[in-house]
Amino acid sequence: MSDVLRIENLGHSYGKFKVIEDISLSIGKGEMSALIGPNGAGKTTFYNAISGHFPPTKGKVFLNGEEITGLTSHKVVDKGMCRSFQITNIFSELTVLENVIAPLIIQRGKHFKIYGNIFKDKQIVDSAMQTLEQVGLSDRADQVVANLAYGDKRLVEMAIVLARKPSVVLLDEPTAGMNPEETENMIALIKKLATGSGTTFFITEHDMKVVFSLAEKIYVLHQGHLLAQGSPEQIRSNEQVQEAYLGRKVHA
Amino acid sequence: MKLLRNRWFGPAVLTVLLLLAPLLISTYSTMILSEILIMGLMAISFNLLLGYTGLLSFGQGAFFGLGGYCAALMLQAGYQNLFLLLLVGMLISLLAALVVGFFSVRLDEIFFAMITLGFGMLFFSVAHNWLDVTGGSDGLPVFVLPSLNLFGTELTFYDPLNMYYLVFSIVLVGVVLLWLIVHSPFGLILKAMRENKQRVSFVGGNVQLLRIVAFAISGAFTGLAGVLFCLFNSMATPEFMHWSFSAKPVIMSIIGGTGVFLGPLFGAGIFFLLEQVIILFTENWMLFLGIVLVPIVIFFPQGVFGTLRNKIFREGAK
Repeated sequence: MSDVLRIENLGHSYGKFKVIEDISLSIGKGEMSALIGPNGAGKTTFYNAISGHFPPTKGKVFLNGEEITGLTSHKVVDKGMCRSFQITNIFSELTVLENVIAPLIIQRGKHFKIYGNIFKDKQIVDSAMQTLEQVGLSDRADQVVANLAYGDKRLVEMAIVLARKPSVVLLDEPTAGMNPEETENMIALIKKLATGSGTTFFITEHDMKVVFSLAEKIYVLHQGHLLAQGSPEQIRSNEQVQEAYLGRKVHA
Repeated sequence: MKLLRNRWFGPAVLTVLLLLAPLLISTYSTMILSEILIMGLMAISFNLLLGYTGLLSFGQGAFFGLGGYCAALMLQAGYQNLFLLLLVGMLISLLAALVVGFFSVRLDEIFFAMITLGFGMLFFSVAHNWLDVTGGSDGLPVFVLPSLNLFGTELTFYDPLNMYYLVFSIVLVGVVLLWLIVHSPFGLILKAMRENKQRVSFVGGNVQLLRIVAFAISGAFTGLAGVLFCLFNSMATPEFMHWSFSAKPVIMSIIGGTGVFLGPLFGAGIFFLLEQVIILFTENWMLFLGIVLVPIVIFFPQGVFGTLRNKIFREGAK
C-alpha cells in the first residue's frame, strides 16, 4: 500500500453524456505525474471529481489508503490533498502573508477563534514565511495580492496550496497564461519543490514542453478514457497517442 | 502628523468627543446622538456580514426587533435587571439568527439578500399580527425602565443625559467586541471568504458553518442594539422588523463605507444629520435622502468615510 493516490473506475456523467469513464490509476509517494489530453478530454472534470468539487457519479478515490470518494472539498483538504485552479484562485484584497496564513489558521483549527492576534502566533507566521520563501515571495509578504504581477499571483496560489503541507498537490495548468520567462520559472519551482520533499505532484497541462520536462509518468486522457500511461519516452513513441493528440497538435 | 497616522488616534478622539458632546449640545441633539450610536452599532454589526464576509443581509430588522421585543416583554413581566435584559436580548437574537442563517447561508448575493428579506417579513408579520403578545401595530410600551446601582448610587435612565451615557457605554463595549472579532483569526477567515469562498473551501474551511457563525454573531449584536433602542424609545414596535428598517443599516454602511470598521457608524451619523437638516425644509425627507445618496454612491465609491480616510492616509504616507 505505497500508493498515495489510487483511483478506481472513476466516471462522471451529466445525464447520459459521459465526460469521463472508467479511469483507474495509482500514483506512488513522491511521484511527479502529469495528466494530458486535448481540450474537452475531461481533465478538469477528472480533477473536480477527485478533489471534492462535486462527487463522481461512478468509481472510487483513495488517498493514503483511505477512501475519500464524494467527500466535500474542505474534507478532502483535511485528508491531505490540495489543488490549484486554471483560473487563479486567491484572496485578492488580502496581503500575501494573509493569503498563506488563512489555510494555516484552518489547519490548526483556529478558524472559529474570535479573539487574539494571529500575527503574534510565531508558529503560524514562521510556517507561512517558510512557504513564501519556498516560492520566492517572502520579500513581498506585506503587499496586497491585487497589486502583484500575474506571474506572482500564480505563485501566491502555489503558496496557498502548499501552506498546509499536503501529501498530494494537484496543479491544474500551473503555467496557463504565463509568458515564456514566467513559465520557465514555474517549471524550475515545481522541480525544486518536488525533489526530495516526498510531496506527490499531479499536474494537468496543455503545454507539452512543460509536461515532458517535468513528469516522470504521463497519463493521456482522450474523449473521457485513459488512452495510455507511461514514461515520457513511452508516451512520445506511442502511436495511439500520436494519432489522438500529439500528431494532431504537430499538424496544427 | 505622526500622531495623526497612529491607528489609535482617531478612535481616541472620537471617544472623548462622544463623552463630552452632551455637555456642549442641546438635550434634543443628545437624544439624536443616542439614536445615532444605537443605529451605528446595528450598522457595524450588519457590516460584519456585508463588508467582512461579503453577505448582503436584508433582514437585520428581525434581530433588532427581537432584541427590542425581548426587552419590552421582560420589563412588562417585571424583570428589571439591566444586564439580564441585554444578555437575554442578545441570546434570543443569536438563536434566531442561527436558525435564519442555517437556511440562508447556502445562497449568495441577491438570493441571500432575498431570503433574508423573506425571513425579515416573516418576523414582521408575526410581530404585527400576534396581538396578545406583541400588541400588534401599537407595539409594546415600556413604563418602567431598569435602573443601575453604580458604586452605591442608584442610576435611573428617564433623564436623556443618563440614557445617553448608558447607550454610549453599551455601544462602546459592543463596538470594541466587534473590533476584536474582526481582527481575530475568525475575522481573517471572514475576509478570505469575502474575497473567494471557493478558495476557503479548498484550503479546508467549512464555508457554510463559518457563515452561520458570522450571521449569528451579527444577529446577536443587532439584538443588543435592539434592546438599547427599546429602552431609549420606551417602546418596541413592529416597525423595527419592517423591511424599510432593515434597509437602514444597508444605506448607512454604504454611505459611510463598508471597507472601514467604523465606516457604518459615520454613515449612521451622516444619515441622521441629513434627516435633521432636510426635515427643516420639507416633510418628504426620503425623497431628498435619495437625491443625496446617488452622488455619494457615485463620487465616494468606498463610502464618505472610507474614501476620505484613504485620501488622507495615502497623502500622509508620501
